[in-house]
Amino acid sequence: MKTNPFTRRKFLEKNAMGIGGVALAWMLQEQNQLSAAPNTVALEPQSFDLNPKVPAAVPKAKAMISLFMHGGPSHVDLFDPKPELTKRHGQEYPGDIQYSFINRASKTLLGSPWEFKSHGQSGIPLSSLLPHTASIVDDICVIRSMHTGANGHEVSIRYWHGGIPGITGRPTLGSWITYGLGSESNNLPSYMVLTDPGGHPVDGVHNWSNGWMPSLFQGTVLRPKEPRIFNLTPPEYLRGGLQEQNLEFLRELNQQHLSTHPGEHELESRIESYELAARMQTAATDALDLSQESEATKKLYGLDHPTTKEYGTRCLIARRLVERGVRFVQLFLGGQPWDNHNSIRSSLPAICHKTDQPSAALVKDLKSRGLLDSTLVHWGGEIGRLPVTENHGDPGKAGRDHNGQGFSCWLAGGGIKGGMTYGETDEFGHSAVIDRVTPNDYQATVLHLFGIDHKELSFLYNGQSNTLTNNNPSRVLKKILV
Amino acid sequence: MTSRIQLLLISILLNGSLFAESPSRLTFERDIRPILREHCLDCHGADKEKKGDLDLRLRRLMIQGGENGPVILPGKPEESLLIQKVVEGEMPPKGKKVPSSEIAVLKSWILQGAKTARPEPKSLDDGLGITPEERAFWSFQPIQDPELPTSSQSDRVRTPIDSFIAQHQDSRDLRFNPDASKRTLMIRVYLDLIGIPPTPQQVSKFISNDDPDAYSDLIDSLLESPHYGERWGRHWLDVAGYADSEGATDKDQVREFAYKYRDYVIRSFNNNKPFDRFIIEQLAGDELVPQPHANLSKEEQELLTATGFLRMAADGTGSGKNDIPGRNQMIVDSLKIVSSSLLGLTVGCAECHDHRYDPISQKDYYQLRAIFDPAFSGSGWKTPQQRQISLYTDDDRTKSAEIEEQAKQIEKEKQQKLKDSMEAALEKELAKHAPPLREQLRDAYQTPNSNRNPEQKQLIANYPSINITPGNLYQYNQIAANEIKAYDKKIANVRATKPKEEFLRSLTEASNKIQPTRIFHRGDPRQPTDEVQPAALTISQPTDRPVQFSSNDSDLPTSGRRLAYAKWLVSGNHPMVSRVLVNRVWLHHFGKGLVDTPDDFGKLGQTPTHPTLLDWLATDFMHSGWNLKELHRKILRSTVYRQSSAIHQREQTIDSSNFYYWRKTILRPEAEVLRDRMLAASGELNLKQFGPPVEVKADDAGQIIEDGNPNRRSIYLQSRRSQPIALLAAFDAPVMQVNCAKRPSSTVATQSLMMLNNAFVLERAKKLAERAMKETPHFPLPNIDWNPNPFPPPDKIVWSYGYGKINEDTQTVSSFTPYTHWHNSTIWGGKNRPDSKIGYSQLSASGGHTGSSRYSPIRRWQAPQSGKVSVTGELDHPSPIGDGVRARIISSNELRGKWIVHQSKLKTLCGEFKVEKGDFIDLAVDSQGNVNNDTFTWTVTVSLTDKEGLTQTWNSNAEFVGPQSDPNQKLFHLPRNLGRAWEIVYGRPPSTDELKLSIAFIVDQIETIKSQNISVPSEASLSAMTNFCQTLLNSNEFLYID
Repeated sequence: MKTNPFTRRKFLEKNAMGIGGVALAWMLQEQNQLSAAPNTVALEPQSFDLNPKVPAAVPKAKAMISLFMHGGPSHVDLFDPKPELTKRHGQEYPGDIQYSFINRASKTLLGSPWEFKSHGQSGIPLSSLLPHTASIVDDICVIRSMHTGANGHEVSIRYWHGGIPGITGRPTLGSWITYGLGSESNNLPSYMVLTDPGGHPVDGVHNWSNGWMPSLFQGTVLRPKEPRIFNLTPPEYLRGGLQEQNLEFLRELNQQHLSTHPGEHELESRIESYELAARMQTAATDALDLSQESEATKKLYGLDHPTTKEYGTRCLIARRLVERGVRFVQLFLGGQPWDNHNSIRSSLPAICHKTDQPSAALVKDLKSRGLLDSTLVHWGGEIGRLPVTENHGDPGKAGRDHNGQGFSCWLAGGGIKGGMTYGETDEFGHSAVIDRVTPNDYQATVLHLFGIDHKELSFLYNGQSNTLTNNNPSRVLKKILV
Repeated sequence: MTSRIQLLLISILLNGSLFAESPSRLTFERDIRPILREHCLDCHGADKEKKGDLDLRLRRLMIQGGENGPVILPGKPEESLLIQKVVEGEMPPKGKKVPSSEIAVLKSWILQGAKTARPEPKSLDDGLGITPEERAFWSFQPIQDPELPTSSQSDRVRTPIDSFIAQHQDSRDLRFNPDASKRTLMIRVYLDLIGIPPTPQQVSKFISNDDPDAYSDLIDSLLESPHYGERWGRHWLDVAGYADSEGATDKDQVREFAYKYRDYVIRSFNNNKPFDRFIIEQLAGDELVPQPHANLSKEEQELLTATGFLRMAADGTGSGKNDIPGRNQMIVDSLKIVSSSLLGLTVGCAECHDHRYDPISQKDYYQLRAIFDPAFSGSGWKTPQQRQISLYTDDDRTKSAEIEEQAKQIEKEKQQKLKDSMEAALEKELAKHAPPLREQLRDAYQTPNSNRNPEQKQLIANYPSINITPGNLYQYNQIAANEIKAYDKKIANVRATKPKEEFLRSLTEASNKIQPTRIFHRGDPRQPTDEVQPAALTISQPTDRPVQFSSNDSDLPTSGRRLAYAKWLVSGNHPMVSRVLVNRVWLHHFGKGLVDTPDDFGKLGQTPTHPTLLDWLATDFMHSGWNLKELHRKILRSTVYRQSSAIHQREQTIDSSNFYYWRKTILRPEAEVLRDRMLAASGELNLKQFGPPVEVKADDAGQIIEDGNPNRRSIYLQSRRSQPIALLAAFDAPVMQVNCAKRPSSTVATQSLMMLNNAFVLERAKKLAERAMKETPHFPLPNIDWNPNPFPPPDKIVWSYGYGKINEDTQTVSSFTPYTHWHNSTIWGGKNRPDSKIGYSQLSASGGHTGSSRYSPIRRWQAPQSGKVSVTGELDHPSPIGDGVRARIISSNELRGKWIVHQSKLKTLCGEFKVEKGDFIDLAVDSQGNVNNDTFTWTVTVSLTDKEGLTQTWNSNAEFVGPQSDPNQKLFHLPRNLGRAWEIVYGRPPSTDELKLSIAFIVDQIETIKSQNISVPSEASLSAMTNFCQTLLNSNEFLYID
């Protein structure tokens, strides 16, 4: 029996919805599909590429390096001095606190064991754990009011990268930027990820996933040790023009095959991935050749010291990549070195020593080469830490639990005003209270610096328009822009 | 479908109490409670203790309010405390704020008077319970048996599946694509069902088979292939989280016997074990085996092996993480595997609190856990080693003990011998010293070290040579030492005769050992609270037929909980299981599921694109007796599967994401298929089945590769969590954390680099090249004019050998095909003689034999430079029987001479004629009609005089060479070699243009290789062929399934 789907749908709506709920909602959904007017499924773009694209507004930033400090750097021990917390050290925190580790939770306030001092012309105070960051303080903007609203690593890191708390499978910030702007380099991937010898962050490869975008926009991993890219060099017998001939022949085969499959994106991006691989072989080898750097530069990044050598090398590589037109570079650490649940007095200095000098060197080096104006540098983690003690019995083992309510990060270059702080947490540093910044605000601001309106840059997926900030209220932090 | 919905509606409409509000009217139950559940009910409803004494579970309780009074004032949203708190962001105090869109809904509801859909209950049980609205979610509905829809595409609808798909297509004015070509379809089905490509022979056989049932027969034969289970078992291993290592700690200890579960899965798929039985065995196989688990029959071993499913989660308790959180994590992960593989729900959220989106309470979670707890920890925790079940029988044990006894006996002899030898050596040493020192030394030596007095110690130090030990005995008596050493080997040999002890990796439950399962406060295993009884998830139970399990089945030695639960899962009444399974099968056939979140059919998952089809499949699957192969048949016989992948502009404009299945989407095969396909192409694929996995190791660069024989199917490679095989991981094979519900399919430059430069790929290309150079193409290759000498040949080598056609009208050679097979001192056209095409045709140094009336053996001379030639020779047909042969000399499209001999001998002389460099002189011989007794001899001398007047001569007999003696000679066969490689890789012959393109490529390569004189793995032509083959393996036609 064939009935008019439209009237049948009305009938269902009128009578089924709200009957003991939506008993037939799922069937109704099928009716909806069947009866909605044709041609309403929006068109996806026919093909994707990495050609450079001109953004709507004049961009301040052309490239970005994100030093991702996952685990939750303890803002009250690094960037956000809290005299009240120091004063009331050992007393009870007066309000409510949400803990991740209830069994070790306490409300005993833990004043920072480290001294804060003002630095630079701006006089921004930083803790004694960051002597090198202190030397670039006039170039950075410290945001002290970050807020994800959730304490968990996963929930927050997904918010930072994908735009929605707790959801994986979405494209990450680097994907959006390269999707929106393409690549300035046609022989290196536009989105590169430098991983740590100690392993991946939580969620592993999801942190540089292209989600439902074409895999063209996925982050390419540069390994932490040689060979930094596996299989980068051809075997001896393919050198001297033979592999080039192979690739030329491959091109011909693939073009012929594509001509029988017109419009098949997947095949096009596979072809593009071979082109990129071929160009990468020379370009990446060159970009990774640090012997081209002066001794002074190597020293600046701490390559002469075992504590800083590894991270310094990656920061230096990041600069060389950006110099060569890579759009988005992100550095990760192994595991959760900032996750100082216990023995914060020793574990926090350790990770500071590893990262402080190289991070500052990157900003200095970019500046001295005239690249800082067009390169946005981000330093920060997905959450911060609580002002109260995470109790392990022995006070020497005291640590701090997760805190997504308020924490700090910093930005530099690419149109960011240096030598300023933005936002505030409460008197104990628990929760952002003034000029709260969510990861969506951060994302909106980053895209703005690249000349992109976060509401406008959208990707059509199965007929739905999607944005990085997912239509959540997100603001561009105008006050921190040059 | 239509009438069914109406029936349902009628029944609902008749039920007055359920009668609905109009949809524009917001109701508490439908619109408000889900918002509160997500943001508020954790503190204001779920627990007995309500924060601020406020309960938000009912409208009337909201009006009643808490410490601060009522939280809603119907009609006055702005004055309602609820609105004020969420607008100001004060509530919820932690976590995600209520989005403005949801606040707007809350406001409108209050403004409309805060209506409920129906009268609220007088009292509420503790907890959130399940509202009718939540219960109404699609996936919790009983599985329907929808009627088949009709569609306008009756010509294309082959199966019920097609009707459902076509119905949706009709609504968008879409139609199925035409069927894919037979060749495309065949390759598609092979790779889909067994993961191994068809051989060119199989392809051509299928193409030429006009039987209308050929396709169905093909599906049937592939489903019967022993390799089907290797392909489809792998899909199941993904959701089971299969790994050959324990994970959880840095050690990542190897699971020596996990492979038995892998083999169990493969065999179960191959045997088409009904899936309901398959589920029961995996969840509760041990409960079907009598205890104690000793002297196990094959069937019992299989049942115990099946429970390896529940042992796949990472388990660090045997490698350094045997603490409460470590043990708890193993159970938590196991529940994740059970729920995502079978239930299609993410129950994990409810470990710590009531699920925020799906109606799964924390209590539900622990009730589910109570089903599994007795096995995991009923009799205290056991490490993986302690859980092993020995396959030793009593006989084995007795035999082993006897052998151990023998070994001990020999050990005893050895000790005696050692003792005697040492004593003898000591006496010999002591004899060197006079009494009383001798006695003092003996005393000192014989006193155990710890008891020696200072003088004795000093003595030993002063006379070190008396300190004889088993270790230095050889210095005193080499022969005795050797004899003692020989005992060790003897002992080892004896022990080696013990029956080998193997183990099963299973989950078993001790008899009647049940610890209470308790809810863990906030999921923390160190904070147990209320005890719960085993139960299925409340939402999965039909309201009218709640499911009850005994917490300890008295008929079984075990608690019987898992068995009862497994039986309920497959009872036909569970709303999820069958849907989840058929959806997953669909996903693997089409690259996307009807529900594309195969592990989450809940609120955060996707809704089905074709709900009625999903239900039809789920119902049909159960009706068929959970017959998986039958499900494959139904899907694969459908038009929706058989259609081509072609993209058309109009359809693409309407539905670019192919939501409506108007075409078959091309798929990049999984990593394993890609790897196996390469091995199949190179001819190396080892089809051995089952057994311990091929181990892995890091190569020089640190990439993980196969350790040892790399040629087995990928499913048999060790899957270590910490050491994923580089090639497989690059192409998205899962590295197990918990399990993998759906693999991504990525396209990144690192994959291309791997295909271009990785040793595995390079080696396969070389093997494929060698294979192609040995074998004969199966498909007819296009005829092309091929100049076999891209380089000037060595001066004297101007001869080539083959067969060809003579155009009798023009008396010219119209084709020349080189002979391929060198046999003793003759060269033939095929592997066998007679050959099906050219019969006994062959050439030797002195002559040859004709083979068919259509083709003549041709000895070909090619001019190395221009000049004038003369040809002389002697032709002989010695046989008195047969009808003799005809010989012709043809050059530059002109007949230069013709002779016929029959039991006779002739001089063959041609007048002088001009040749240009590269011209041929063909010496062709054919039969006179009868090819029997056509052996002839014909020795020819060619003389060439160049411009300068210099004359060179060539003798056909003296210069007869086989293909091996000249690298260029190999190039004769290049078109065939290229064609063979091509058809192996693609399952089709190259077109003329493709073959020309390939030849041009090879010629360029050889020139480059020669000009550079760079190091090559072997000679130039093999190297060029290798590169050709590698490029084919890199091409999209190989990397994708059309």
